[in-house]
Amino acid sequence: MSNYIKGLFHGIGSLLTGMKVTWKEYFTKKITEQYPENRATLKMNERFCGELSLVRGENGDYKCIACGICQMNCPNNSIHITSETVEDPETGKKKKKLVKYEYDLGSCMFCHLCVNSCPHGAIEFTTKFEHAVFTRSKLVKTLNKE
Amino acid sequence: MFDFGIWTSWIHSQLTAVMPEGLAIFLECVAIGICLLLLYVIIAIIMIYMERKVCAAFQCRLGPTRVGPWGSVQVFCDVFKMLTKEIITIRHSDKFLYNLAPYLVILASVMAFACIPVSRGLEILDFNVGVLFFMAASSIGVVGILLAGWSSNNKFSLIGAMRSGAQMISYELSIGLSILTIIVLTDTMQFSEIVMRQADGWFIFKGHIPAVIAFIIYLIAGNAEVNRGPFDLPEAESELTAGYHTEYSGMHFGLFYVAEFVNLFIVSSIAATIFLGGWMPLHIPGLDGFNAVMDAIPGFIWFFAKAFFVVWLLMWIKWTFPRLRIDQILTLEWKYLVPIGLVNLLLMVVVVVFKLHF
Amino acid sequence: MENNTTIKERIAAIEPSAVWSDAGDGMFKVPAASFRHLAEHLRNEEGFDFLRSLTGVDEGEEGLGCIYHLENTATGENTVISALDPDRENASLPSVHDLWKGAGFNEREAYDFFGIKFIGHPDLRRLYLRDDWKGYPLRKDYDMSLNPLNMQNEEANDDSPSYVMTKDGSYILKRHPLFEDQEYVINIGPQHPATHGVLRFRVSLEGEIIKKLDVHCGYIHRGIEKLCETMTYPQTLGFTDRLDYLGAMQNRHALCMCIEKAMGLEVSDRIKYIRTIMDELQRIDSHLLFIACLSQDMGALEVFFLGFRDREKVLDILEQTTGGRLIQAYNRIGGVQADIHPDFVKKVKEFIKYMRPKLQEYHDIFTGNVIVQHRLIGTGVLSREDAISFGATGGTGRASGWACDVRKRHPYAMYDKVDFKEIVLEKGDCFDRYMVRVKEIEESLNIIEQLIDNIPEGEYLIKTKPVIKLPEGSWYSAVEGSRGEFGVYLESRGDKSPYRLKFRSTGLPLVSCIDTISRGAKIADLIAIGGTLDYVVPDIDR
Repeated sequence: MSNYIKGLFHGIGSLLTGMKVTWKEYFTKKITEQYPENRATLKMNERFCGELSLVRGENGDYKCIACGICQMNCPNNSIHITSETVEDPETGKKKKKLVKYEYDLGSCMFCHLCVNSCPHGAIEFTTKFEHAVFTRSKLVKTLNKE
Repeated sequence: MFDFGIWTSWIHSQLTAVMPEGLAIFLECVAIGICLLLLYVIIAIIMIYMERKVCAAFQCRLGPTRVGPWGSVQVFCDVFKMLTKEIITIRHSDKFLYNLAPYLVILASVMAFACIPVSRGLEILDFNVGVLFFMAASSIGVVGILLAGWSSNNKFSLIGAMRSGAQMISYELSIGLSILTIIVLTDTMQFSEIVMRQADGWFIFKGHIPAVIAFIIYLIAGNAEVNRGPFDLPEAESELTAGYHTEYSGMHFGLFYVAEFVNLFIVSSIAATIFLGGWMPLHIPGLDGFNAVMDAIPGFIWFFAKAFFVVWLLMWIKWTFPRLRIDQILTLEWKYLVPIGLVNLLLMVVVVVFKLHF
Repeated sequence: MENNTTIKERIAAIEPSAVWSDAGDGMFKVPAASFRHLAEHLRNEEGFDFLRSLTGVDEGEEGLGCIYHLENTATGENTVISALDPDRENASLPSVHDLWKGAGFNEREAYDFFGIKFIGHPDLRRLYLRDDWKGYPLRKDYDMSLNPLNMQNEEANDDSPSYVMTKDGSYILKRHPLFEDQEYVINIGPQHPATHGVLRFRVSLEGEIIKKLDVHCGYIHRGIEKLCETMTYPQTLGFTDRLDYLGAMQNRHALCMCIEKAMGLEVSDRIKYIRTIMDELQRIDSHLLFIACLSQDMGALEVFFLGFRDREKVLDILEQTTGGRLIQAYNRIGGVQADIHPDFVKKVKEFIKYMRPKLQEYHDIFTGNVIVQHRLIGTGVLSREDAISFGATGGTGRASGWACDVRKRHPYAMYDKVDFKEIVLEKGDCFDRYMVRVKEIEESLNIIEQLIDNIPEGEYLIKTKPVIKLPEGSWYSAVEGSRGEFGVYLESRGDKSPYRLKFRSTGLPLVSCIDTISRGAKIADLIAIGGTLDYVVPDIDR
């Protein structure tokens, strides 16, 4: 009998402790992020991996020389590089030139292997994260569009 | 206190002046029925909105904010969405009972809803055994839930229905006992009378200790009766996906959903009526000026304020505690609430006999 | 493995046919015929009661077989046994499910992938693939074209085959029904709010009481181990984050460690410090999610949101340094992807200060709650013997009184330098499993606190060759993941991609013991048991 009563009061006590916590939470500041409204103030961490993009050099051209190492390293074949060989008019040397850098965001798993393996630092991840589209084909992006 | 009975009897006399009494009563019944259903829907919408906002506040969230100011139009949108959804019929289900079940639940809920005295003169069903009628009407709901679980040919639904059968029938007892405790104090079972007797102090103050205990038991049992957390076993979503209404879709599901919320309101408003004085303003004997100020506030405001306060209390409980297990629910009822309720009833009898109440 | 000299001699004495092979970590090669004798002896006489990992392998000419990583939990001795059957068409091995209960599911996996018939196994169904799958995909001679994309629904097979040895040495196939006709079987999952992913239980009920439970895995099987065999070593790293997504750091740590061990690469102290801190942050993240999900399973949504709110702080810290929240891709062979963010130390310290008082809040609202205690105390008891036998490591094993923390058993990174308590509780019920994790959050905070101020200067990445080739041999390394021992078994043939890469799933032993501990419990208890075992389905299915 004493156990019964002790248990009863212990139980009620523990329930009230719990209610005290929720009471406190009722009045604390809410943590909801009001996303589309706070777009202007929303700042992503600078290292956040949103999508791949090509880096431009000092003269404004893409640093990419279409060597294809990133394409080789990609485990998911998310990168497709089309290149052409052009002759440098001054030196007469043949050189590969980037025509199209296609990147499939839909199959990218952000493993960083392309960025790590690029010998020229020509690609990097940017923080753009709003990727929602209606069809998968729109996720295949051409990165070197002028 | 303004008596709405003046209005209603005036309408009645106007109507009987131009038509036979039978027709007048028929027309009044239709009008009242429409008003009742309208009020029912409005209450449901307010309740759903309130649930979302209150639970969000407890969970450090904001709740709906998108549609309308503070998300207030969200619920209307949801109702329209629900109305446009297909009602799926299940193969191998008992079609007739499957379609009947939600209406039984809503019927029980509307009938119980009609018993509530909203303000002086604004009571629809008001007769000398009103409390008895209320309890009888509200317990029809369990039939609907059992039918829903049984007829939808789903094992989850069936388990949910069985759970709710065991739970609701058990907890009916505690509700009865706690209301009985107050009836001992009032010696009437008519809701309007119960409210009138609280003019000199609400029963929770007049009946002091036994009334407070009865109030707590009533809140627990009432919460269990309407299948809300921590007693939401019949629809425990992490165990039985959605319990007895797993297979329902569209407005049939909507009816269960609405009935659940209005049932919560009904339980709260009965608690407010029986323990907190219903539409009766707060009166402190001896302070006439204060009482007069309180009387200036209309009765229905008092009523809704009290009812929604109890609703808020129940929401606070729901969003704090985890769910019980089925055997623990029955243990709580049969080993704790019923014995305590019986002892409390005895205590109340002693209090009344020896005039220990205020 | 360490301390193998004596056990080497003992095994040679027990089974003279066992041959020690030295490549990599080294292992004993035993013919299939004498394997059972050795296994029985090791289990019963030598006290090797913990089967760390069971890996099916296809050794080409040498045949098909399994590699058993065994540990003696009393002395900490380790040994590796490999048993191969040269008959590729009809490969069979004696089952050891009666010696180590954990072998039950692992043998099903090996049967599924390699077609090795385990004689005496009571329930040799496929574990991950469909019953109508043709061929055995991890065999090297597997023909990919056998299984075109199947658009038909899977027929549920309701009987379990088992191979029984007859007197003349051949074996016959027997089939037993899983459930009787009259049993009330309900299907929990694959889409169910409480299975935390696409796991499916079939539960035979009597009223609300569970009579029998059958686990169905494989709904999220992606064939990661098969995929890895075609990938270069750096490419395989990407998959580890996607196994146990709440232990991404630790999983990747394990694979990096294994490859580094094979390469003979010693990483700098700074890398070790960073990896250790990251592992512990990830553990806190995982355990917070555990509390949140357990409470949500039990209907207390309040705690769910509190857990997620606090977890967000960890994720923010991780995101700032690694650039990812769930899939961080941080560890690399020879180091880490990027140096810690300049604000990292400050943020972590702030978090530690923030988190300690918050734990009390969980205790107030959840741990102490009378409903929680009634539902968790005494339900789903896993005995110490069963925990070891099933190999249920992590918080689950420690709640049963088994000190199974890899950080203490085989210290790696900085764990032998820091001072922390291994939380071991006794009862093995749901409540203890919950408490272990809550207390481990505190321990993790302690570990981080000891390390965060002393991160030494140095490089965060050791330059490796662009193409990594490992020498021939096999290696096993393990870390303490968020929910148990996460091991990586790597076999190399000198190529730039692994010959066989097996991940010791932390969750598979946990689901394999569900049937044992949930019999006689109620449905609501099953939810609590599932919640406290804390498995992550992609990690089980791989």
